[in-house]
Amino acid sequence: MMKKMLCLMLSGIMAVTLLTGCGSGQGSKEEESVSKPQETGKEETADSEKEAVQTVTEPVEIKIWHDGDEAIMANIADTVNQALESKQISVSFEKKSGLTDQLQLYGNDAVNGPDMYFYAHDSLGTFVEMGILSPIKDLVDDSVFEGLLPMTVEAGTYKNTQYFMPVYFETLLFMYNKSLWEGAVPETTEELYAYMETHTDTTAGNYAVVNQHSTAYNVAPIINGFGGYIIDKDGNPGLDTKEMIEAVEYNKKFAALQADGDYNTVTTLFNEGKAAAIVGGPWLISGIKDAGIDLGIKSLADFKLPNGNGLAPFSGVQGVGVMKHAAEGKKDAISQVLVTLAGKEVGEILAISSNCAPANIEAYDNPAVADNEMIVAIKDTAQTAQPMPNIPEMSVMWGPAEGMLAAVNKSGEDVQTATQKYQQDALTAIEDMQ
Amino acid sequence: MKKRKNLIPWMQSMPALILIAVIILFPIFYTGYISLTNMNLYHWFDFEVIGLDNYKRALLKVDSGFLSALATTVVWTAVNMVLQVILAFFIALGLNTEGLKIGRIYKTLLMFPWAMPAYVSILLWKVGIYNTEFGLLNKILVSMGMEKVNFLSQNVPAFFSCMALNLWMALPFMIMTIDGALQSIDRSSYESAQLEGAGFWAKHLYITVPALRVVIAPAVIMTTFTTFKQFDIVYLLTMQKGSLSGASLQTIITYAHQNAFVSNNYGLSSAVSIIIFGFIILFSTWTNRGVKED
Repeated sequence: MMKKMLCLMLSGIMAVTLLTGCGSGQGSKEEESVSKPQETGKEETADSEKEAVQTVTEPVEIKIWHDGDEAIMANIADTVNQALESKQISVSFEKKSGLTDQLQLYGNDAVNGPDMYFYAHDSLGTFVEMGILSPIKDLVDDSVFEGLLPMTVEAGTYKNTQYFMPVYFETLLFMYNKSLWEGAVPETTEELYAYMETHTDTTAGNYAVVNQHSTAYNVAPIINGFGGYIIDKDGNPGLDTKEMIEAVEYNKKFAALQADGDYNTVTTLFNEGKAAAIVGGPWLISGIKDAGIDLGIKSLADFKLPNGNGLAPFSGVQGVGVMKHAAEGKKDAISQVLVTLAGKEVGEILAISSNCAPANIEAYDNPAVADNEMIVAIKDTAQTAQPMPNIPEMSVMWGPAEGMLAAVNKSGEDVQTATQKYQQDALTAIEDMQ
Repeated sequence: MKKRKNLIPWMQSMPALILIAVIILFPIFYTGYISLTNMNLYHWFDFEVIGLDNYKRALLKVDSGFLSALATTVVWTAVNMVLQVILAFFIALGLNTEGLKIGRIYKTLLMFPWAMPAYVSILLWKVGIYNTEFGLLNKILVSMGMEKVNFLSQNVPAFFSCMALNLWMALPFMIMTIDGALQSIDRSSYESAQLEGAGFWAKHLYITVPALRVVIAPAVIMTTFTTFKQFDIVYLLTMQKGSLSGASLQTIITYAHQNAFVSNNYGLSSAVSIIIFGFIILFSTWTNRGVKED
């Protein structure tokens, strides 16, 4: 009998413990929300800051989710926490891989979700349509946006409303190995092609220039330069437009001399000295440095296409969006954090310590920033760069656009046929979203 | 009293039943519920029940693309299963050869692909075997003075490339099962057969194969399912986001993923999932019937 009772009790306990994880987590809320302003030992500063302390009396911690480089986020967090220490506001960054999915689950959850997120601007439309983001014009004075590069501000605008505070941005660059490149780097894409023809031996595995030739982001400089578009502002895909067909044809001849165009292949070829140049972004820098390559950088905007336009890559702007619940509940603290993130100090630190091109214009006046070849090249590219479309439909366009490029460049499909087929796929994919 | 006695086994299995309900049944029913709603990006928190509209749309998707994906999946499953069973049978026979030295080491080595995470294996093959610049196959071709080949850019070579990798990854399980089954066969049957003058083929055809059939049937059924719903090999080798290989090979699962799961339209995706779930249930009922007849 005792044994039976014991069995039943154990079964009961197991059944209960199975379900304990399903609790709402309210219990842990208080522990989590105990904010810990960073102890940096900085002295009290201006009187204006003292006044601000009076408006924000309780310590406030702003939780920011990101899916980026932890070192960059640590730099941002340190700078913001130092600047806002006297106001008892602190930020904490938490890395969440698959951030989009996480925000879909927790975007409206004030307890378990973040107050802000730090991510690229191209998901903006998705988050706004889901109804988790708050506009930020009410939180920050217009003058703050005037201090930022206009392209980055535009990237953070969706349906004429500002939802996103840009912090830094990235574009593709022409990066070359100075010890392998012969002569001056060309000024036009035709000269570049001529150089590639004479300096590429595919059988031996030696390449002049490599690029992810079937990745839409990496072909965008040519597509945009020809006046084409992957998707327009109204959500109409443009895979079968005349300009797109011309651009895809033009890219095809380069692709034939650029290995298989896979990210791992092209970066390894460049880092191992098997390719003299690569079209890539700042994210490649650490690998290139480790490989001990004497790196030269040129802005893609400085290469002229046969139509006279410069190559016009996409820009990916990294910055923050504010969750609706945080904009209501922690308005003052959020405002202070946004202003600080858009400020000169964060911009300078990001440029100097992390090689990021800041959105803040004043940061470029710092001599250490002005001397950084890569950052200057990215800033120059901002003149022709187009922000990646931030409408939700863009999220389903990468598949058809890349399918089209791979079909043309890798499977040898006819350009006309491929563009029409994948335009149809794109239309279906957009229709499926509704 | 009898009623109480009947209750006790239920109570004791309650934790397991709750676990099964939470992990298996709840997601299926919830997916069924979502499939009846308009939950998508534009109705993320304010979705409502819209009836069977999503099923209508999902069934309209059963167009030529779906049928060719289904055909590819059937061919893929059949070819893989036949090759797997035949190869595993001969390898297992080899491992059971009398007088084989260091047999344990061979067995351990043969288990290796199974122990490796699939994701790692697939990416290793993608770069280490099939890559045009660094892959073993192209290194061999170039050293023989031949042109480089992109094995994953066209459908037919991509199919065989995926198949080779699938065999590499799946064979250990089948070898292990057949190896175990072989050891359970009474040796004296072979000795008697030998006395009767049976050769290699006759012994295996009339003793080994019939004895194995019952034991390996569950393994074959399980592997048929995993092969049928294969996703990661085809996806990671040929259609990983940002590095499409050019082949447009689709199995029903990659087709469903491409058509329903990138759009954030959870209502439609759930309807597609439920339809595929229905297909698999039918398939499973059919194969189980086959087993009973055995």
